[in-house]
Amino acid sequence: MTDVLMAILVAGFTSGALYALATVGLSLVWGSMGMLNMAHAAMLTLGGYVAFTVITSLGLPIALGFAGAILAGAAAGAILYFAIVRNLLKNDKSTFEANVMIATVGVGIALENAILLTYGGQPLKQPVSIAGVLRIGPLTLPWQNLLIIAVVVVMMVAVSLALGRTRMGRAIRATAQNRDAAQLMGVAVNRVYLQVLMLSGALAGICGVMVSSMTQLSPPLGNDPMLKAFIMCVVAGLGNLPGAVAAALGLALLESFVQYALGARWGFPSLLFVVIAVLIWRPSGLFGRAEIRRM
Amino acid sequence: MTDTRSMSLPTMSRSSMFRLARTDLAITLLLIAVAIALPFIVDSRYILGQIVLALFYATIASQWNLLFGFSGIFSLAQMAIFAFGGYATAMICFYFGWNVWAALVPGALGAVLFSLVVGLACLRLTGVYVALLTLAIAQAMYLLIVTDTECFVMVGSVCRQFTGGAVGFARFGDLGTRALLKTHWLVGNYAIISVLFAITMLFTYVIVKSPIGLAFRALKDNPGYAVARGVNRFQAQLLVFGISAFFTGLAGGFYAAHFQAIGPGVLSMSQLMFIIAIVVVGGVGTFWGPLVGTVVLVLADELMRESGEFRTLGLGLIIALSVVLMPKGLVGRFGDLVGWLTRRRAEPGDSKPTDSRIVQSPPPTGK
Repeated sequence: MTDVLMAILVAGFTSGALYALATVGLSLVWGSMGMLNMAHAAMLTLGGYVAFTVITSLGLPIALGFAGAILAGAAAGAILYFAIVRNLLKNDKSTFEANVMIATVGVGIALENAILLTYGGQPLKQPVSIAGVLRIGPLTLPWQNLLIIAVVVVMMVAVSLALGRTRMGRAIRATAQNRDAAQLMGVAVNRVYLQVLMLSGALAGICGVMVSSMTQLSPPLGNDPMLKAFIMCVVAGLGNLPGAVAAALGLALLESFVQYALGARWGFPSLLFVVIAVLIWRPSGLFGRAEIRRM
Repeated sequence: MTDTRSMSLPTMSRSSMFRLARTDLAITLLLIAVAIALPFIVDSRYILGQIVLALFYATIASQWNLLFGFSGIFSLAQMAIFAFGGYATAMICFYFGWNVWAALVPGALGAVLFSLVVGLACLRLTGVYVALLTLAIAQAMYLLIVTDTECFVMVGSVCRQFTGGAVGFARFGDLGTRALLKTHWLVGNYAIISVLFAITMLFTYVIVKSPIGLAFRALKDNPGYAVARGVNRFQAQLLVFGISAFFTGLAGGFYAAHFQAIGPGVLSMSQLMFIIAIVVVGGVGTFWGPLVGTVVLVLADELMRESGEFRTLGLGLIIALSVVLMPKGLVGRFGDLVGWLTRRRAEPGDSKPTDSRIVQSPPPTGK
């Protein structure tokens, strides 16, 4: 019994850590820019494939694979900003939310398909994996899961330090709180947007490496974690980072319990029911504040 | 063909009650003429089949446009509702042995019921929250259908799942055109689907121009002000959700009947994206936008079919670029062009701008 419980908890915490990383990337962009990045899934996939290319095809060490994934994700974020977001921001503000969502859907499809055309559809093995288990008394913990949790914790700490302690982070938080006021105080809002998209892209790149190390590399790799990250963002209240992490862990644990108890196919639908129930009770999410609209 | 004519005539007389603009009337007449002429011009079965498919796309897109473009509800459950209508029709025929024609309206009503349940869950929210939740519901529906492996009935020695599983339903009946028209059955189906499209557009026009349509638009343009003026946001949005679900579900039923099959493929992300691309390219919130978008994107899709694997890539780039380059779509850009010409014309003389607008507006959907 403890074995089963342990397995469920390990699976839940691992996927929770991955979802948290995906959720933070999404939530960061939403919170500071009011932009829902539908291309996030494709950026996840891109990170995974770049790491694969660097490590397997070029034969470079694993650390460089991670660096490659981070750089590729950040570059994708920068391209997204210069090609799409900057142009859409020029238009009417009220249409930005929907337009940027549709445009990033297009970018996501194009990027996923470009990856499919480059690497082919057959699943590839991500070389970033460690075999074996750690035994502590009666407990067995696979090293792979521990690695993922460790990487995610490091990334979380790095993000919270970047947001909390640096000048860039202050500018990002100021823009998230009030874009106009931040601009009036001399914050270069456009540069903040670029930084946020690059940061989120870098997180997506790392997340893609970690997700693919659990399963396999395939072009639709990012879609499943992103869909779940979406509903976790929604439960937490879009834009709330600590809330997003908490929601990701909680829902991932719930998912792995349901998958054990009712079978894998009920995992996602049960998450959805929880989300809908939460939203009927609190329409702007568990930790979200009700938005006050001025006319 | 007589079907198309007799069903389309009331289109005009009814719409005229709602002060049909002369441009719209001209476009309608031209479209009816084109619709009647098409089967005489096109003798390729493949092309006529693609035109029927395009009519389905245009119908679904017009309903998504009613939701998003006119009412501001960013629902991504459009294909789920379409699939629900198709599945409901197919399942009624499959399990109860009904005639397809009898099952169409119950199927569409089933889709309305489904949409109301979705709406009750989602429409308390706004903006992207609605989009994310509806997307999640559509995805959950897809997963539940594809992973359905439990035996529900045995057909011969083959086990059938309740939802048809990954295979879906086939051979549950057709529209009866094969028995009636023999080799020309496709023309018959074309006429039926044209009428479906015409009726859908007519109702959409009436709704958009009616007081309730104004309420939908007000909620989109300025929710706060609309609510302050006494529009009940939740009720009105639930209403438009249900209305669009009826026609979407009906189209789903006809789709299942036309292809004599329905499977989980219609729920795939790429189908939804194609519908969104149609509306975005044509022009969000314009009445003729979905039709223009369908013509352009189906043509582009056919051209890209030559280059095979680059189709999806091209589609994604078209979506992204058209949002960036023409936020109001082709119809919006066309309107800009007309406005520019009008202003240029108005400068030397003092002719009324409205006159030149009518002269200057050949229907964008002419081909």
